[in-house]
Amino acid sequence: MMRFVLSVILWFCAPFGLSLAQEEDRSQTGHLVTAVSSDRISIQSNFTGTEIVIFGQAEHIEHQPNAPGGYELAIIVEGPSQDITTRRKGRFFGVWVNREAETFRRVPSFYAVASTDDIGDMAHRSILDDLGIGLNHINLAITGSSNVALSDRDDFRRAFIRLRQEMGLYSERETSIEFLTETMFRTNIPLPANIPVGQYKVRSYLFNQGEVISKTQQSLRVAKTGFEQFTFNLAQDYSLLYGIMAVALAIFTGWLAGVIFRKD
Amino acid sequence: MQLYLPIAEIPVNIFVIFGMGGAVGFLSGLFGIGGGFLLTPLLIFSGIPPAVSVATVTTQVVASSASAVITYWRRKAIDLKLASILLAGGIFGSFLGVILFDVLQEVGQLDLVISLSYVTFLGAIGGLMLVESVRAIRRRKAGAPPRARKPGQHNWIHGLPLKVRFRRSKLYVSVIPVITLGAIIGFLGTVLGIGGGFMMVPALIYLLRVPTSIVIGTSLFQILFTMAAATIFHAMGTKTVDIVLAMTLMVGGVIGAQFGARMGQNLRGDQLRLLLALLVLGVGLRFAVDLLLIPDDLYSIAIRKGAGS
Repeated sequence: MMRFVLSVILWFCAPFGLSLAQEEDRSQTGHLVTAVSSDRISIQSNFTGTEIVIFGQAEHIEHQPNAPGGYELAIIVEGPSQDITTRRKGRFFGVWVNREAETFRRVPSFYAVASTDDIGDMAHRSILDDLGIGLNHINLAITGSSNVALSDRDDFRRAFIRLRQEMGLYSERETSIEFLTETMFRTNIPLPANIPVGQYKVRSYLFNQGEVISKTQQSLRVAKTGFEQFTFNLAQDYSLLYGIMAVALAIFTGWLAGVIFRKD
Repeated sequence: MQLYLPIAEIPVNIFVIFGMGGAVGFLSGLFGIGGGFLLTPLLIFSGIPPAVSVATVTTQVVASSASAVITYWRRKAIDLKLASILLAGGIFGSFLGVILFDVLQEVGQLDLVISLSYVTFLGAIGGLMLVESVRAIRRRKAGAPPRARKPGQHNWIHGLPLKVRFRRSKLYVSVIPVITLGAIIGFLGTVLGIGGGFMMVPALIYLLRVPTSIVIGTSLFQILFTMAAATIFHAMGTKTVDIVLAMTLMVGGVIGAQFGARMGQNLRGDQLRLLLALLVLGVGLRFAVDLLLIPDDLYSIAIRKGAGS
């Protein structure tokens, strides 16, 4: 029955660019199927953020929240990677200036995790670290050329995660996956207005007794469209032309104002 | 109404930006300044990335000086020869500025240098203007006639070699200080996102002894072209000129400037200079406070490579 309901939902959503991922082996218990409400997010001039809905079905399970030995889910939406420098200010001759800096290599530009339970309770730390599930388990690799004392490294990691959270680019929402039936679930992931463009990954994991028993991965593209894309490409690829255009526009505006407001 | 900026990659309230452009435009019309030194900090405080703010304000300064330059051109109040030599220095300085801008961004000290420069230059020039305008007001109250320019007055600058005659300015002076001055203003303008008129005008009057009637037009002409060059250098180097942000600021700015200019005609010169001095000092003080007080957050992050850098 549930499979029927899901297939009906998927059938309706298919024309809207809905993508679907599932594993090859369909007979296994706990087989996971997930779908993302949209595989393309378009940024236009009126873009103020949006949200995506991820829903799916874990076959042959009976979800019982907080039951020992039960099934748990974690869904991660990850943006393209970036190198990001975290700096800390210190006093220097009475003035606050950036002193130490730590560069984190290839960290996600956007990271949102939703789960059915406290992430720390779902699996052993090493598994969570391996898969990068949860804000405390993101792989924050540092460069060799760091001038941060070993004892301060954790402060930098914490500050980095906190600042990204404040920008709305990192989030962890435990127990935000909602079960519609015993096997069907859905969750909303908000995408703020300042999300970076690029290829995103949606990873879903089904846990049973601390082990991953099924997983899916889908992709999602965030791209500027129309005027925004045109302007951005122009600025990147034809920067001289773009600069000259900016100057011409400015001189024209100034000249026009002079003509309109001319007194004589 | 929210508008997504294609280069800054954030949405902004278009009316807030328009209002900022208008308010700064009003002050620039009132005082006859470019207003970059007010607009850049305003944009940074309102959440636009500093690099985008600085680069985009250079474009806005082009627009605000363009309409004024046309007016002075008609009045023949521009010394083209002097302006061209200043400009040659200015473009060179601007080019160096973009290089330094990149380097400072790389090592994470751009914000510090911008803040320190604002404190230094705004503090010094605001202080000088304050003293000068208070004196002028006192003199006027006491009924003394304003001091006239004494012809033939010389200082050490007039002893330098490579002298050139500037007919319109009635000057015979070395090109070295002229090029140096242009370069310094172009350099600072590019790094700080300001036109530099508030530094150029006193320098031309007090160091080179250019007649007051020629100074403003010549300074504006030089600023127009230096900032046009800075816009192109920023567009090619840092790629942080946001044309949508610039356009919004320009439209607000040119409208505000017209109202400011009309109001300015009803105020006395020394009163205007006093108000401007207080404004300049206020902005400088704001930066000084930020440098000296314990910041709200000691940590900051900057994207170095990958999406959105």
